[in-house]
Amino acid sequence: MTVQAHKVARLPWHERVGYRFAGQPLPWLLPVILILGFFYLYPVFDVFRFAATDVTLIGQDYEYTSRTIQQTITNNDLPFILWITLIFTAGSVIGQQLLGLIIAMVVIRAERRRLFGPTILRTTALVAWVVPGIAVGLIWQMLFSEAPFGGLNSLLRMFGISPVYWLSDPQMAMWSVIISNIWRGTAFSMVVMYAALKAIDPVLYEAAEVDGASGTQKFRFVTLPQLRAAILVNMILITIQTVNTFDAIIALTGGGPGRATEVISLYAFNIVFRNYDLAAGSVISVIMLMISLILSVIYALFLPKGDTT
Amino acid sequence: MTRLAWLLAASTVLAHPAVAQNLVNGSLVGDRDAPNTLTLRLTSDGPGNNYPATAEGYNELYSDFIRNHPEWKIEMQLMSDNIGQEQARMLEQARAGRAPDCAAVDSFVLPQFISNGVLASFSPYFSDEEIDQLFPFIRDGITGEDGEIYAWWWNTDLRVLYRNETIVPEAPETWEELKEAAIASTEDGMEGLLFNGGRWEGTTFDWLANYWAQGGDLVDEEGKPIFGEGENREKFLTAVNYFKDLVDSGAAPRRVANIASYDDFVAAAAAGTSALFIGGNWQYSQLEDTLPAETFEQWTFSPIPGPTLEERSTGTGGWTFGSFSDDPEKVEMCANLVREVYMGPANALQQQLPTRADLYDQYEVFDTPANQTFAEALDDGRARPGAAIYPEISNQIQIMMGDVLTGSKTPEDALDDAYQAALDAYERL
Repeated sequence: MTVQAHKVARLPWHERVGYRFAGQPLPWLLPVILILGFFYLYPVFDVFRFAATDVTLIGQDYEYTSRTIQQTITNNDLPFILWITLIFTAGSVIGQQLLGLIIAMVVIRAERRRLFGPTILRTTALVAWVVPGIAVGLIWQMLFSEAPFGGLNSLLRMFGISPVYWLSDPQMAMWSVIISNIWRGTAFSMVVMYAALKAIDPVLYEAAEVDGASGTQKFRFVTLPQLRAAILVNMILITIQTVNTFDAIIALTGGGPGRATEVISLYAFNIVFRNYDLAAGSVISVIMLMISLILSVIYALFLPKGDTT
Repeated sequence: MTRLAWLLAASTVLAHPAVAQNLVNGSLVGDRDAPNTLTLRLTSDGPGNNYPATAEGYNELYSDFIRNHPEWKIEMQLMSDNIGQEQARMLEQARAGRAPDCAAVDSFVLPQFISNGVLASFSPYFSDEEIDQLFPFIRDGITGEDGEIYAWWWNTDLRVLYRNETIVPEAPETWEELKEAAIASTEDGMEGLLFNGGRWEGTTFDWLANYWAQGGDLVDEEGKPIFGEGENREKFLTAVNYFKDLVDSGAAPRRVANIASYDDFVAAAAAGTSALFIGGNWQYSQLEDTLPAETFEQWTFSPIPGPTLEERSTGTGGWTFGSFSDDPEKVEMCANLVREVYMGPANALQQQLPTRADLYDQYEVFDTPANQTFAEALDDGRARPGAAIYPEISNQIQIMMGDVLTGSKTPEDALDDAYQAALDAYERL
């Protein structure tokens, strides 16, 4: 028996167990795996299982069949729903990313110049982020109201501008939904961009200045390359979040007028809770999962392989 | 009387209101240590009501109730406004044996709860006399195929046409008269006729009166959609074109395509921007609470106009209570709650129409001309079909209405799409 083994043998039993499993990750990860498996993976497994059945919320029995998948995928409404989801997601992600970056840069610039207000600006943006989705929908419903006393239209009238059909025009309704979602999600992007901007080595900017780079050149050749990883990670996160956005839309438009703002998460909700079709809703949920996974993989392919920060 | 006796008497009198208030404490009614518990899931028709006076009224009713049943406590669970989701979730929970002991069930989904066999029979707890007093369509709605009653339908409602008499003096009685009155009101700076046209149940339910007035049916006896075929198709298109014409002609503002709340009408009435809207009977008291007295005096209501004077209909709904418990004592407690709190007292508190003819004479509040008129209008009332496919038909009608009112689709195309979607969904159920 080695000296080390003698030392270990004299330790209390729980410390001996610790030594025994040192260097083996599985025992340490097992509790997390079990919890994640039970609370996350099992429901996901159930969604896949339901997708392969014809189960409804009101029927007693069900059988395993591929008919649900076939009927759901070939449904005439699905391409339009996916198109609506694509517009909503692209508009929201681009808007949140751009605005988040701009606000973060303004805050950083203001901090460097010791101006008054960056903390207030940061906090104000964060307030929108912590407001629940349903409340966001209701707030914007009041602002977009087309009644003579509606918020934004009243403002427009003051400046002699004709009122806008924010929610009753199918094309405009989509932009209104995107605007409200950008308002809600910009703060998250701002926080990510702010942290990434803070992490950029000031020496890089000093070197660029020595080389005579203009502000635009510094942004293009220093800031953006340095932010690449943060931007991609941020886009993965907000894309997944946006694809799953549901609460703010149901409160703002309910998916209407017609189906003008019915994104895929709302479509799944309607299938399950209006038509009680749990199996078809599960198929849509699997499609949503696939979309998120594919987008994540695509984004991840563009991630820098080494540590660039 | 001795000083001590006076002191005791005074303290009893003073303590009584405090005790009454303390019996409803957040989501708990009664003594926390009471041996028996009834879990109750309800809408805002309870102590959680948004109107303080109504909430206080329910506090008193619940306090009185639990004082009569001191061995019980009630744990309340409040439903969200998303009624469709709440009811579907509760049905799923009931099938899994996880539903509350007692719960509010929307009358139009009640047949699905009954057919799934998740509700306990209420028949042993209500006398034949009580059941016989129910309006026939109410009694039919709560009765299962075995003749037992499985819920108690405690309030009903209907839709009417509200108007500001200073702007629209005469009640429009036909579609044409309503269109003319609405256009005339826009010349007085009003928005015209307001109605629900957004993505929610109210849009379907309010519009259906125009379809039903012509004798149209949504489903056949087996619950299969039939609204897109034969005569029903013609009647359906006539009713859709009527709403489309209201918007196209300017009789109704374009924004109706996004109205998805009855509250919008009260807001417009309060702002003085509308003189006509199709709303629920319960909104009469809301108008009274919201508008200044002199403005409220200007508002009145009349039956929803039909295509002709003879063709009239209005949608009737309402709420029931049912029990999901296997424990007969809990089922009985649920029935007691409905009888002692809701069947009469709560109707009077919220001025929600009772489902029993005799209650209209028992409560003074229902003697008012307004409530008497509402009660008479129930003659034209029609409930939504109790078919499992109805929520999806309603969903498709909401989509169709949005597409038609915004000009995205022709009424014919929108109807064909809605009908095909409803048939596809029916095949899958």
